[in-house]
Amino acid sequence: MSYVDRNLAVAASRGDVEAFAKLVGDHSSLVYRVALRILGADDAQDASQEVWVRVWRNIRNFRGESAFSTWLYRITVNTCLSIRQKESRRDERELGDDVPYLSEPSGGDADPEAAALNAERREEIQDALQHVRAEHRAALVLRHMEGLSYSEIAEVLDVPDGTAKGWVSRGRAAMLVALAEKNGLHRKEEAGG
Amino acid sequence: MTTPPVAGVERWEVLEKIGAYAASELEGEEARKAEQLIFDRPDYRRLAESYARMLVMLSTLGSEEVEAPEVVIGYAVRRAYVSAFLRQAETFLGALGRSYLDALVYYFGLRPVRGESYGGGT
Repeated sequence: MSYVDRNLAVAASRGDVEAFAKLVGDHSSLVYRVALRILGADDAQDASQEVWVRVWRNIRNFRGESAFSTWLYRITVNTCLSIRQKESRRDERELGDDVPYLSEPSGGDADPEAAALNAERREEIQDALQHVRAEHRAALVLRHMEGLSYSEIAEVLDVPDGTAKGWVSRGRAAMLVALAEKNGLHRKEEAGG
Repeated sequence: MTTPPVAGVERWEVLEKIGAYAASELEGEEARKAEQLIFDRPDYRRLAESYARMLVMLSTLGSEEVEAPEVVIGYAVRRAYVSAFLRQAETFLGALGRSYLDALVYYFGLRPVRGESYGGGT
């Protein structure tokens, strides 16, 4: 697969638009998915378009030293982070006195997948993600949603392995704090009727 | 039994450590220490369970198929075609301009002949 991508990238770098169109078709879901997780639904489409403009502009710089997907992840994450930098930073949630805690889903833990796919929970996750610092969020998405290894994350984010690991760890904790807060508010609303 | 309060920075450290344990990223002594914390304190046990729930949700959400809107693909390919056309047009017009210039230079006899001086020398 990566050999095919490499050949397509080489052809695209020589101005072959058909080869570029094939790359776009094969990888558009990756770009959109990552943009959606990092930026949310409102900005994902614009960000994805910007990513492909940057890919076309810089494809001559792709030397094939890493997999095309790693190079693409890097452009996608950088584009998302630069879009986020232009906007006001959302505050990370403070860690309160209580240990953050998520209530058990209504279906119980016996069927965690079904519970996880609950539309309300999905919205909570997406919203909580937006309260994690952008770099930490990117690292968290790459690790726990895209399944990349720490060395791949380090390569994508252009940081040492230890930093990548630290960002994932911090992102995970901040995400839980934000999620627990939303979960707590939700529980209070339910209790209040 | 009451559990002792933990200071801010240390609380984040514990939070992250239990998160790493829940993600199966700790080994050896570190894993044993995290297990001990979880065993000793019910609130940390609940924390580990919450992490596990969150990680399942993230992983499930991450594995869902997400299709990029057609408009994104169409836009990217159209932009590439326009850009490639402009690049070719630039190359073509550049070559055409140079050819015209060469023709004018030849027509007016402006090309310096070998050994000919344009002045200034004796």
